[in-house]
Amino acid sequence: MFRNPIKDKIAFVGVGSTGFFRDANARTRNDMAIEASIKAIRDAGLGQADIDGVVGTAPAAREIVEALGLPKVTHFSNQPMPLVFGVVDAMNAVFSGAAETVLMYHALYRAPAISRSAANDPFRRGLGFGGSPAPAPTRHDPEVLGAEGYAAWMSRYFHEFNAPREVLGMIAVNERSGAVKNPLAAMREPITMDDYLSARMVREPLCLLDMDVPVDGADAFVITTAERAKDMPHKPVLIHAATNGITARNKEENLDGLRHHGQHVVLEALRAKSDIWIPDIDVYFPYDGFTPITLQWIENTGWCKPGEGYDFLKDNWDEANQRIMIDGRIPMNTHGGNHSEGGTQGSGHIREAITQLRGDAGERQVAGAKNAFLTPGGMFFNAQGLVLRTD
Amino acid sequence: MGAITDQELLARLPDTLIDHDNKEFYRGWLERRLVLNRCADCGFWHHAPRAWCPQCWSHNVVPTEVSGRGTVHLLIFLHQGPPAPGVDYSTPHPVATIELAEQEGLRIQSTIVNCARDDMRIGMPVKLTWVERYGAPYPVFEPAEA
Ligand SMILES: [Zn+2]
Repeated sequence: MFRNPIKDKIAFVGVGSTGFFRDANARTRNDMAIEASIKAIRDAGLGQADIDGVVGTAPAAREIVEALGLPKVTHFSNQPMPLVFGVVDAMNAVFSGAAETVLMYHALYRAPAISRSAANDPFRRGLGFGGSPAPAPTRHDPEVLGAEGYAAWMSRYFHEFNAPREVLGMIAVNERSGAVKNPLAAMREPITMDDYLSARMVREPLCLLDMDVPVDGADAFVITTAERAKDMPHKPVLIHAATNGITARNKEENLDGLRHHGQHVVLEALRAKSDIWIPDIDVYFPYDGFTPITLQWIENTGWCKPGEGYDFLKDNWDEANQRIMIDGRIPMNTHGGNHSEGGTQGSGHIREAITQLRGDAGERQVAGAKNAFLTPGGMFFNAQGLVLRTD
Repeated sequence: MGAITDQELLARLPDTLIDHDNKEFYRGWLERRLVLNRCADCGFWHHAPRAWCPQCWSHNVVPTEVSGRGTVHLLIFLHQGPPAPGVDYSTPHPVATIELAEQEGLRIQSTIVNCARDDMRIGMPVKLTWVERYGAPYPVFEPAEA
């Protein structure tokens, strides 16, 4: 187990994004996925004939191949979210020779059920999560599913550790402080701890400011061999280690507990595969679709012990900039995360990590950033890890 | 079991996704019996219902009535959500995961009734009772003596 023959052999060489928006607009999911893809391919200095692999979440890969007019594609697939499922497929495709250069894309579309403005858009009728057709309606009995799962395990965390709500509030404030400097983010007004503590409850113990916002937008990436990347326009960002993780009891209500779930599998695998570990990183990207996920990642990654997240965050709080600054050096989710960009399913974290390692992050730039540590996904059936580096 | 035919089961729970794996679980609802899958070879319970025992891989899985005793393992309060009969988000609506007495980690999701909101907490002992939802019985839990 935990071999890593692909280490540093595959690189991100192109990035494109539409940015993310909360407002109703008259664009489709396909429109945005195509825009991000064109931008990413051009960013890599490539054209239609250079892309022979296509991996995405949605829309269907074959639609993107057709929409972009890609003449000859030898590997194409659709992968679930968040994005590391796609990264693993794309990098393996390049490593094995199934394809030479892979376009990876991800588009998000607000569904009428979760967004009032989307509900007012008559052309979104019949769309479900992420903009795919909604399944046939069935009876609804509120359960611990999806979003409720994170609230439920946070209730368990509060029960076991008696932590104050500020432990989540610091994460929420940190994210928004990053988004203030990120033109791609949907939510760019800073928030305070008071804003957090007075926000209305939605899935108690989680409030409105514990979750990401529904958005429209798309990200895309180009992946090829590290060898080929040397001759391309941007500084290559190498995939040092990547993994997904899941345990036998992965349905929301069935987790063994806060000390054994998908994140633990990811971290054990990543620790074995990666030569770079948390003291060595320059920028940190724990997932934040819901703030309890971030808290779980921080504790499980070993920054502190289980239940000690509140003290850890307090001790590493940069009061002047209202953000988390680990050891006075390592910032977290410099782009504002899902919390402020919107529910990008990790594409934003990957885009920002690449941008930081290239040195292209403008006023968000972490000086001399070489190593980025990403842990997309939650606790149940989509925990993921990704270590990126540059020379 | 057997009194309620497949036709009747499907007719009384028309908006529920019922298949050969979970039909006895839902047939139990109509008889106000909470029926979960138990392996007849190794004795392991599991839920949601599947045809094979996840512990020993036996196909000899038998829908078996549980005592209905358990403790609250997870508990949240929903202040908003899709409309549903018998669900009042203004209270707000409690959603509980109950760990059943039969086996550690054997859990079922529902709500808590006959209990003031401030008295509901993780770790409290509960027992099964039934309410009507969508014109059919639905299993819920109420406080029980420890
Ligand atoms: Zn068995």
